[in-house]
Amino acid sequence: MTDMWTLATIWLGLALLATLLSIWLRIATALSEIVVGTVAQLIIGALISSVLLGTHQSWITFLSGTGAIMLTFLAGAELDPDVFKQQWKGATGIGLAGFVAPFLGCAAIAYYLLHWDARASWLTGVALSTTSVAVVYAVMLEIGLNKTPFGKGVLAACFINDLVTVLALGLIFSPFTIKTLIFAVVSVVVFAILPWLTPRFFKRYGGRPSELEAKYLLLFLFGMGGLAVWAGSETVLPAYVIGMVLAGTVGKDHVLVRRLRTLTFGLLTPFYFIRAGSFVSVPALIAAPIVFIILLLAKMATKFISVYPAAKTFFRNGKKEALYTTFLMSTGLTFGSISALFGLSHGIISRTQYSYIVATVIASAVVPTLIANAFYLPSHLLGKHEEEATTT
Amino acid sequence: MISKVLVAYDGSDPSKRAFDFGLDIASKYSAELLVLSVVRLPEPPVDVETESLVESGEEYYEQHFAELREQAAAVDVTPRFEVVVGHPAEQIIHKADEERFDLIVMGHRGRSFVERWLLGSVSKRVLSYAHCAVTIVR
Repeated sequence: MTDMWTLATIWLGLALLATLLSIWLRIATALSEIVVGTVAQLIIGALISSVLLGTHQSWITFLSGTGAIMLTFLAGAELDPDVFKQQWKGATGIGLAGFVAPFLGCAAIAYYLLHWDARASWLTGVALSTTSVAVVYAVMLEIGLNKTPFGKGVLAACFINDLVTVLALGLIFSPFTIKTLIFAVVSVVVFAILPWLTPRFFKRYGGRPSELEAKYLLLFLFGMGGLAVWAGSETVLPAYVIGMVLAGTVGKDHVLVRRLRTLTFGLLTPFYFIRAGSFVSVPALIAAPIVFIILLLAKMATKFISVYPAAKTFFRNGKKEALYTTFLMSTGLTFGSISALFGLSHGIISRTQYSYIVATVIASAVVPTLIANAFYLPSHLLGKHEEEATTT
Repeated sequence: MISKVLVAYDGSDPSKRAFDFGLDIASKYSAELLVLSVVRLPEPPVDVETESLVESGEEYYEQHFAELREQAAAVDVTPRFEVVVGHPAEQIIHKADEERFDLIVMGHRGRSFVERWLLGSVSKRVLSYAHCAVTIVR
C-alpha cells in the first residue's frame, strides 16, 4: 500500500510539474504531460530503474484508460448538433476524404517504404488520419471564422474525420466474431436510447450534491467500454459516439461539463498523457529521425491530396480557402496518441514504432497550423476590414 | 482629435492603470471607449482543454468588467467590453485597425528576460505594428 501512495505522489508530482511548465511556456497541458512523461522515464530509467514509474500497474492503467474515455467523451460532446444537421453532407464528404487518403497513404508508406508489418502499417494509417478539432477551432476563433458557414462546416468535418478514425481503430483490429455483432447491436440500441433517456433521467433525479449525472455517464461509458474490449474493440469508440449523441443535451449543460472536466483534467488525463509519454523512446528517435520526417510528410501530403479537392467540391471553396482547410485538417494530437497507445498496448506496434508515430502526431499539431496561418488565410471571408488587417 | 480609444486589459495592475488612463482620456475628449481582453490559448490547442480555457477566460474577464463598468459610470462614460481569442498583440492591432481606433492604451507587464524571450513582449509588438497612436502606461 505504501508503494501505491508513493507512486501516486510521484505521478501527481509529475502532473503538477507538467501543468506549471504548460503555464510558463504557454503550451498545451497534454503536450507538456507527454514530454514530462518521456523525460521522466528517460531520467528515472537511466538513473534508477525503468520500472519505477510503474506504468504497467493495474491502477495506473485504469486511471489512464479512464482518462482516455473521459477525454474522448467530452471531445464528442463538443459537437454542435444544429450545425451538423445543416452541413452534414459537405462535412461528411470532407471528413471521409480527410480520413481515407491519409489512412491508406500513410499505411502504404509504413509498409512499402519503412517495411513495417501489415498490422503496424494499418495502425500507422489510423493514427495519422486524425484531425485535431481543437487546433481547427482555435484558429477559427482567432480569425473569427467560427461564426461563418465555412468555419462551421470545417469544424463539423473534423468531427466526422475523428469519428471515422475511432471507428477504424475499434473495428480494423477487432476479430469479427459473434461478439462483434453483439457489441454492434447493443451499441446501436444504447446510442439511440441515450439522447432520449438522459435528459429525462437528469431532470427527475439530477442537480443534487451526490453527482448522480457523473455516475450515470460513467456507468454507460464503462459499460460500453467493457463491452467493446470484450468484443476485441477499443473503449474510446463508444465513448466518442456517446459524447456525440449526448452533445445536444449533456454537451449544452455547461455546469455538468465543467464538473466532468475537473475530474478529467485534475486526476485522469495526467495519468493518460504522462503514461503515453513514458513509452516514447528518445534514443530511438535520435537514432533515425528520417523515419519521423517521412511519416510527417506522408501525413501532410496525403491530407493535401484528399481534402483539397473535397474542400473545393463540397464547400465550393476558392483555391486559397481549400488550401487553408487542407492544412488545418492535417493536424491531430488526442486521437493520434490514443491510436498509437492502443497499438503499443495490444502489441500491434513496437516501442520504437510508437515513438515515431507519437512524435509525428505532436509535430502534425504544430507545423501545419503555422503554415496555414502564414500563407493561406482566407481573409476575404471576414469582410473588408479584416482583409486589410491581415494583409498589412 | 481623439474620438475612439481602445484599452487592452488583462486584469493585471499595469492594465488597471492603463484603464484609468484610457478612461480619463475618453472622459476628457468624450471619446468612445472599448476595453479589449484577449484569451490566449496554449500551443498546440488540444481537444476539450481549448473550449475550457475559452469559457474560463470569458468568465474571468466578465467579473473584471463589472468593476470597470462601475468605475466608468462614475465619470459618465459607458465603455464597450469585448473578449477575443488569439495572440494578444495580433488581436489588439487587428481590432484597432478594424474599427479605426485613434489611440491604443495598454499597460507594461515588465516581464523577465526569459519570459520576453519565450513569449515576446505584447506592448513592443503593438508599438511596432499598430497604425494608430499607442500609449504604454507604466
